[in-house]
Formats: sequence, structure tokens, C-alpha cells
Amino acid sequence: MKQSKGTIAVFLAPAIILFAIVFIYPVVRTVGMSFNEVGNITADSSTWSWTGISNYVDLMNTRLFRISMVNFLKIWIFTGIATLVLALLLATILTSGIIGQKFFRAVIYMPNVISGVAVGYMWLLYVFNADYGLLHSLFLKLGWETAANFQWLSVGGNVFLAMCIAYVFSSVGYYMLMYISGIEKISKDYYESATLDGANGFQKFMNITLPLLKGVIGTSITLWTSRVMGFFALSQIFNSTETTVPMKYVYQLLFGSSDEVTELKVGKAAAAAVVMTVTVTIISMVIKRVIKDENYEI
Amino acid sequence: MKKTYPSSDRLKKNVKKVPGYLLVILWTVFIAVLFGWLILASLSSTKDIFSGTLLASGVKWENYYRALIQNKMLRNLGNSCLYTFSSIILIDVVSCPAAYCLARMKFKLNPVIERLFVVGISIPGIMIIMPMFYMFSKLDLTNSRLSIIFLYTVMSVPYTTYYLLTFFRGVSTSYEEAAYIDGAGPYYTFLKIMLPLVKPAVVTVTIFNFISKWNEYFLALIFASKSELRTLGVGLHQMVQSLLVSGDWAGMFTAVVVAFIPTVVIYAILARQIISGVTEGGVKG
Repeated sequence: MKQSKGTIAVFLAPAIILFAIVFIYPVVRTVGMSFNEVGNITADSSTWSWTGISNYVDLMNTRLFRISMVNFLKIWIFTGIATLVLALLLATILTSGIIGQKFFRAVIYMPNVISGVAVGYMWLLYVFNADYGLLHSLFLKLGWETAANFQWLSVGGNVFLAMCIAYVFSSVGYYMLMYISGIEKISKDYYESATLDGANGFQKFMNITLPLLKGVIGTSITLWTSRVMGFFALSQIFNSTETTVPMKYVYQLLFGSSDEVTELKVGKAAAAAVVMTVTVTIISMVIKRVIKDENYEI
Repeated sequence: MKKTYPSSDRLKKNVKKVPGYLLVILWTVFIAVLFGWLILASLSSTKDIFSGTLLASGVKWENYYRALIQNKMLRNLGNSCLYTFSSIILIDVVSCPAAYCLARMKFKLNPVIERLFVVGISIPGIMIIMPMFYMFSKLDLTNSRLSIIFLYTVMSVPYTTYYLLTFFRGVSTSYEEAAYIDGAGPYYTFLKIMLPLVKPAVVTVTIFNFISKWNEYFLALIFASKSELRTLGVGLHQMVQSLLVSGDWAGMFTAVVVAFIPTVVIYAILARQIISGVTEGGVKG
């Protein structure tokens, strides 16, 4: 089909112009800010003063930022393993032909459509509550006193665990559906011939499902990485120093915080944003290298 | 081929499924208890919540009056609706023509632009907010409904365009050739022929944009923090913080229920479409 330059412009120009304003310009400016001393978030670039990498040095020497990056890694690895393994397990169960599997899929996915703030408060105000909470009353009924009196929200270790559990609950359904979609694309012939050869369920999972899901698993890890870096709402709700994540740290650098004395430093916040972006990019590239699979997407 | 198992074999096969059933049933029961309790607590008094006897002193519908009217959740709900619906429509208005153009029209920069959008998908919001805040403040648009709608729209343009691109590519070119022979121009061809053909994909991606905009929190907190501009999510956070001070626990649960009910209801209606969107369409949920 023939088309004039004018037609192309009409179709594409709005998207390109908006993209330039909201993606290209801000990325360039944020990187610029990270190498400058910037008075405040609304300061013109003419008032910036070049400081080289001192924002980055300052950042690495800041205890709260280091805590937040360690928390990122802890969530990425431990909560990641919990979420993705559970998602894979649920996907295997819900493709094995059990009765009502469509219904179970829908129920387990449901928390994904609820806002992080609402999910966070459900768990904070109800599930983990020490007086009338779901876990407290459940374990009390079962007669398991130690578990019933477990202080989920106590500062000094458990609040981070509590936050991670809430996060697993809210995100597992999405990865489960991803894996279900991958499993359903695997030809039934493989499983049938394996059954004829006398393979059991576990062997079939290890030798057929897992290798053929490699691409999907790679995609899910990449997606998980960028989402964990964007993790914010739950960290703000389970509010304590131990639950600080990079997004929350940057937010506090830019807009202050009610519970901690944080200095407002825009250049440093920009440096943190660059470090976060580079971290996600490097992890994604490594995963792509490790999982060589032609079905790998994104 | 239909296999018949001896009865002991079939029994064995079913016994093996028991742990699986157990896990998904327990999960479902947990979700049912969680949501059931929250709804009952939202209608109880704070005293009944702490004594473990929900609804004992009667159904407190006034909790909802307090949350929606006195604590202004209705206004937050209105804001969420306005931001979400405006942006999901605008996303389609920008992305559909762009996706069609990139899928079908030949020009030198085409692959470069497509690549740019793919990179755009992976740029985290944190790289964008500071310059946007600066720009909006220069334009006197901080704490304005326009700025949040603008950001919600543009942030989703790369992904939506990229998603629709593959569907436009999947349509046979014979439709356009026939339209061209009949003398149809590019705008007519796009609007009346191509767009209807990819409608299911547009609907799917729009539903997902709806959910992600409705639940968006970080940008809303930064760009719509003034009380009359707050979304449900930001409003919920502020409200719980102040109710914790006043000790109104029933009010908190009412607020949580008001915040999750809209998406849960929509999910109940559209569950099939949403789930097949993830499993077949490969949407980022």
C-alpha cells in the first residue's frame, strides 16, 4: 500500500511526540541531574552545579540506601523463589485436569486486580493483627499458642517477612497464569509417550515441563526483576526502616518523610534512579544470557 | 484414544491428585475467609471487631456513609474514575493509529521507532518522575487533573502500541488491497476496516490498562497529592493513617472494602476475558 509522508505523520506523530516528552527528555535530564548538585526538584538546569560522580559516592555511603538495595535483593531472591516456585506448583496442579480448575485459576489470580494499598492494609490490619487477626485466631483455635502469639508486625525482623508474605499472595496468580499458558502450549504427545514409558508425575515434570518452560520462566524472572524494583506501596504500608526499598528511599529523598530525618537531595535521588535502572538492566541481560531459548520474550 | 484404567489404577491416579486439591482448596478458603471477614468487619462496630463478635451490635451501614461522604471516599472514587477512564481512552486514541502505522507503512525510520518503543517499555517510572515534576511546575500543572491523566496516558503508550502492533501484523493485507482498489483512503481503511478486525485485542489491552491505572499508586501520590485530587489508593492510605490515630478500626475496614470492591466486581464480570488475556494474549497484567 502506498502512503504519503503526511499520512504517516498523522498516524505516528502523536505517539512519537508524547514519547519524546515523557521518555526521552526525562531520561536524559535524570541522568544529567545525577552528576550535578541540584537545589530542589523544580530547579532550572542553569542553577545546577557539576559535581561529577559525588552523588553516586554519597549514595553508596548512605546507610538507608544500602539497606534498601539489600532489601531489593532479599525480595528479589527469597520472595522471588517463593512466588515463582509456588506459581509453578499451582500451574502444574491447575493443568492436571482437576475438577473446577478454571474456577481455582480465577480465584487465585483475583488478588492481582486489587490495588497494592488495599492488599497491604488487608494483611496489615487484619491477617497479621495480634488481637483479632486471621492468623492469631486460626492458630488459637488449633491450640498452637506459639504460632498464635507470633509477633508479625514487631520491628526487628518479622515485619519484613510479613510484607513479603503479603507480596507473594498478591502476585503469585499472575505468574501462575503465565506458566499455565506455557504448559498448555506443550504438546500432549510428550506426556503420553512418557506415561507409556512408565515415567511418574515428578519425572514428567522434571524432564518435559521444566525444560520446555525455560523461555517462559526466563520471561517471568525478567518481569519479576523490574516489578520488584518498582515495589513501593507495600513498603509504604508496612512502614519501617527494615522494609525500606529503593523506590521508597528515592521518594523520601524527593518529598521528605514523616518518620525519619531525611535530607532532600534531588541529585542524589537521580543517581539512585540511575543505579536502580542499571541494576535491572544488568540482571535482565544476565538472565537472557543464561537462559538461551528462542521462545524467550521481552 | 480413550484409555480405560483398571479401577485400582484410576483410584491411584485420583489419590495422587489429593495434595493438589488440598492446596488449591485451602487457598480458596483462605481468600473466602479473608474477603468475607473484611466485608462483615466493614459493617461492624470497632468494639465488635476487637471482641471477635462481628455484627453483634447490629449492621452498621453508617460506616459506609462515614467513609464515602464524611471521609470523602466518594470524591476519591470519582477521581479514580476520571483519571482511569480518560487515560484508557486516550491511550487507545494514540496507540491504535501508531500501531497500525508501524505494522503496515513502509518508511526508513519504522524499525528504529519500534525499537524505541520496546526500550520505552522497560524504562522504570522512577527515571521519569523528576523531570516531569519539573516540567509540570513550570507549566503550573502540578496538582492538576490534567497532569496525572497525561502521565497515565503516555506511560502506557509504548506497551499498548507494541502489543497491538503484532495483531495488526497478523491481519491479511488483502483487506487493505481490496479497500484501496475500491478507492478508500488510509483513514477510512484504518477506521472502518482494520480497527474492527483487531477489536478483540484492543478490548483486552484496554481492560488491562484499566486495572493498572485504577491501581496505580506511585504517580498518583506524587502528582495528585492534594486532598481534592486524590485517587482511591492514595485516599485510602491517608485515611487509614488518620483513622489509626482516632482508633476507628471499623472505618478502616470500610475504607479497605470500598477500595477493593470496584475492581473485584469488574473482575467477577470479566474474569474469563482477563484470564485469557494473560494466558493467550500474553498481556502484562
